[in-house]
Amino acid sequence: MHETERPGPTERAAPAERTAPAEGAAPAGHAAPAEHAAPAERAAPAGHAAPAERAGPSRRRLLAGAGAAGAGVLAGGLAGYFTGQGSEAAATDASDQKIPFYGTHQAGIATPAQDRLAFGSLNAVTGATAADIRDLLHAWTKAAAHMTAGRLVGQDTQPYAPPVDTGEAVGSPVSRLTITIGYGPSLFDHRFGLAGRKPSALAQLPPLPNENLDPDYTGGDLCIQACSDDPLVAFHAVRNMARIGMGVVEHNWMELGFGRTSTTTGSQPTPRNLLGFKDGTRNIKAEQASLMNDYVWVGRETDQPWLRGGSYLVARKIRIFVENWDRDYLQDQENIIGRAKVSGAPLSGGKEFTTPDFAAVGSDGQPSIPAHAHIRLASFEHNGGTRILRRGYSFTDGIDPQAGTLLGGLFFIAFMKNPAQFVRLQQSLAADALNEYIHHTGSAVFACPPGLHPGQDWGTSLFA
Amino acid sequence: MHIDGLGEGRGADSLGERRRARWLPAAAGVAALALLASACSSSHGSSGSATSAHTATVTIDLTPQGCAPKPAKITAGAVQFNVSNTNASAVSEAELRTSNLAKILGEQENLTPGLSGGFSLDLQPGTYKINCPGASQQHWNLTVTGKASGATWQNNAQLAAAVSSYGSYVDQNTASLISHTQTFCQAINAGNMAQAEVLYPKARVYYERIEPVAEVWGSLDTEIDGRWENPVTVASQFIGFHKIEQLIWADNTLAGTPKLCSALVGHEQQLLTLVRSAQYNPLEMASGATDLINEAATSKISGEEERYSNTDLPVFQANVDGAMEIVSLLQPYLQHKDPSLLSQIRQRDAAVATLLAKYKASPGYDDTGYVEYSTVLGPQRRQLSTAVNALAESLSKLSLQVSS
Repeated sequence: MHETERPGPTERAAPAERTAPAEGAAPAGHAAPAEHAAPAERAAPAGHAAPAERAGPSRRRLLAGAGAAGAGVLAGGLAGYFTGQGSEAAATDASDQKIPFYGTHQAGIATPAQDRLAFGSLNAVTGATAADIRDLLHAWTKAAAHMTAGRLVGQDTQPYAPPVDTGEAVGSPVSRLTITIGYGPSLFDHRFGLAGRKPSALAQLPPLPNENLDPDYTGGDLCIQACSDDPLVAFHAVRNMARIGMGVVEHNWMELGFGRTSTTTGSQPTPRNLLGFKDGTRNIKAEQASLMNDYVWVGRETDQPWLRGGSYLVARKIRIFVENWDRDYLQDQENIIGRAKVSGAPLSGGKEFTTPDFAAVGSDGQPSIPAHAHIRLASFEHNGGTRILRRGYSFTDGIDPQAGTLLGGLFFIAFMKNPAQFVRLQQSLAADALNEYIHHTGSAVFACPPGLHPGQDWGTSLFA
Repeated sequence: MHIDGLGEGRGADSLGERRRARWLPAAAGVAALALLASACSSSHGSSGSATSAHTATVTIDLTPQGCAPKPAKITAGAVQFNVSNTNASAVSEAELRTSNLAKILGEQENLTPGLSGGFSLDLQPGTYKINCPGASQQHWNLTVTGKASGATWQNNAQLAAAVSSYGSYVDQNTASLISHTQTFCQAINAGNMAQAEVLYPKARVYYERIEPVAEVWGSLDTEIDGRWENPVTVASQFIGFHKIEQLIWADNTLAGTPKLCSALVGHEQQLLTLVRSAQYNPLEMASGATDLINEAATSKISGEEERYSNTDLPVFQANVDGAMEIVSLLQPYLQHKDPSLLSQIRQRDAAVATLLAKYKASPGYDDTGYVEYSTVLGPQRRQLSTAVNALAESLSKLSLQVSS
């Protein structure tokens, strides 16, 4: 936690950051100490707005332009994650795009889903105190602000000290890194004096259908969700934050995700999960501000005002028995999901984004979308309007040594106003035809605080 | 339309509990096969829109006198049956049966006066009976004219024979399941735990040979064979074989088992009623064979199916037996249709049998003929898993062969 005392300006990366016209909207020569906020964060007007309220295309143009300029300035320099890669590459890919760390909501929820995930669940070690947790959250805030801005956790100038930053992401573009944290129900037990700050909706999930939870992949006092288009950058974030927490917290479990399985904005094409089907076609999109407010962001309904503007994160490790699935014939796969495999169109007809007609009946007199199809049972129409924002990733833990089959599937992440939304949907899925091919093996729920403004930190907010 | 027809007729509540809808009704299966081609060409959207334009409607009003279908003559294809009861207190259901009355193809039950309902299915040309027990005239003719919708498996003698024989196989195994479970219950009722331990796996094998069929009626599968985690982790819903298994092996008690065993037999008897009127088709048989081996590969290899008793090996064998029975019934057809696939399946089955034979013992653990599964170590389980996955992979190719 010594990073908290490390002055920003001593960081090697800082000068380049501060003078980079890359930051587009940043007034030239705005040489604020990086300690408080990189100009990138401070000057970008969008940084304070709810991401949901911004139009995707304009931000993409802004950032793409910034990226191209940034690459030119930084070429040849030692500048955090930035490389001196060709400007033509930078102008066309998202690798040096940054997602503002500060804002009304935490980044990594409504912001566009990146391609890769590193997720850490951490527990406080025995003997950790409230002050330890508060200081840790303060240090995490600083580290997260640095890393998401494309900077190192800290600069290394002492030859006889272990490097402050673990270093593996040096030279890697920031690749839209977002770092999102959350607090598990257990953080609010007797240990840290937080019982009075516990939101009533934050509780362990009840037993749910088709789960056989592995204690090694369940729960946690705190979580870190790091997403980036570069797996190394995402991993680096979790690794360094866990390292900062040594002595206060320890890893409970960790998962790496490859391949996002949901879109969170309308501008993204729908990805596919390991079933080979498009996933997230009917997900809430960030542009749908009223749905975000109705179903994702915690509002005035909470009994804990500190959580307003935050969201609940439900994580579920869902193993897919891919070998069995791959043996099922195409039509049956489609009947199980309720969509055509290639096009993603609902079996009631149309194209991918055609609203499924759950009342449609086929020539055989049966529902076009079968009674137990996944999309029927998971639909808001079937669940009293209940929706959630999914943001999951495919994962693999390698091969089951006993069976020789893939240990992999969907690392399901969803954000919602109240965990009861997930519970309702999952209970509906008790009859899901897909259950024959999947099994929930891990589970956790966290309350993610709202976003921070420059000068604020997670620790002070939680322990206020 | 059998299997789904029953589900529909039993009402929405049973639909909500059914886990699986793969086993299409026999008559509807023909239409489903025709859709396979469009699915493969990825123009699937058309399957949803292709349809209800050709649906014929038959209205049946339940009266004290009977259940005359209106009209009594229709053309082949999709048919919607609308059944209502205005004032017939002694009549409450209409069934669509084959002309010899042997099989129920679709039905609407529990229509007391004032209620209406219905069912739908694809009908091939022929003569059918509408049956309404309790009416003064119980049987009414329904004639379906026109052309059969494409080549059907019913016209293939080998496939038709295989389907017919499979129905008998399922019936017989279900009946044996009941009789062996009753014997198991007798040991439990007598307080003889050692005897119960021996009889438990003996009853289980009959279920494990036909499990994909039983799974069609999802609530029954859960009631008979549900494990605590699947599909609903609610203690009160964890009943059946595995709850008794837990009590005997994990808790070392027979307390509470007599009642559970009696309920188990009741559910098995319900299953027998359902399978006796069920009809199958070759596609269901083929995918059922794959499902059985998937079961073995997933829940038996891991040991989770019989996690308390460690009697996984005999039920593993039962899964394989059930799958290979299907292959044997389809063999006369496959010998001409795809002899190389048949040969590959036989070879891979032999490889599984060779590995299983290593664990045979006499009389074996709990008289199962096999060693206790916990003594089969990681690398040995891996060998079994690899062999059984290879078999499943071959079996998964059957669905196309029986559908084209």
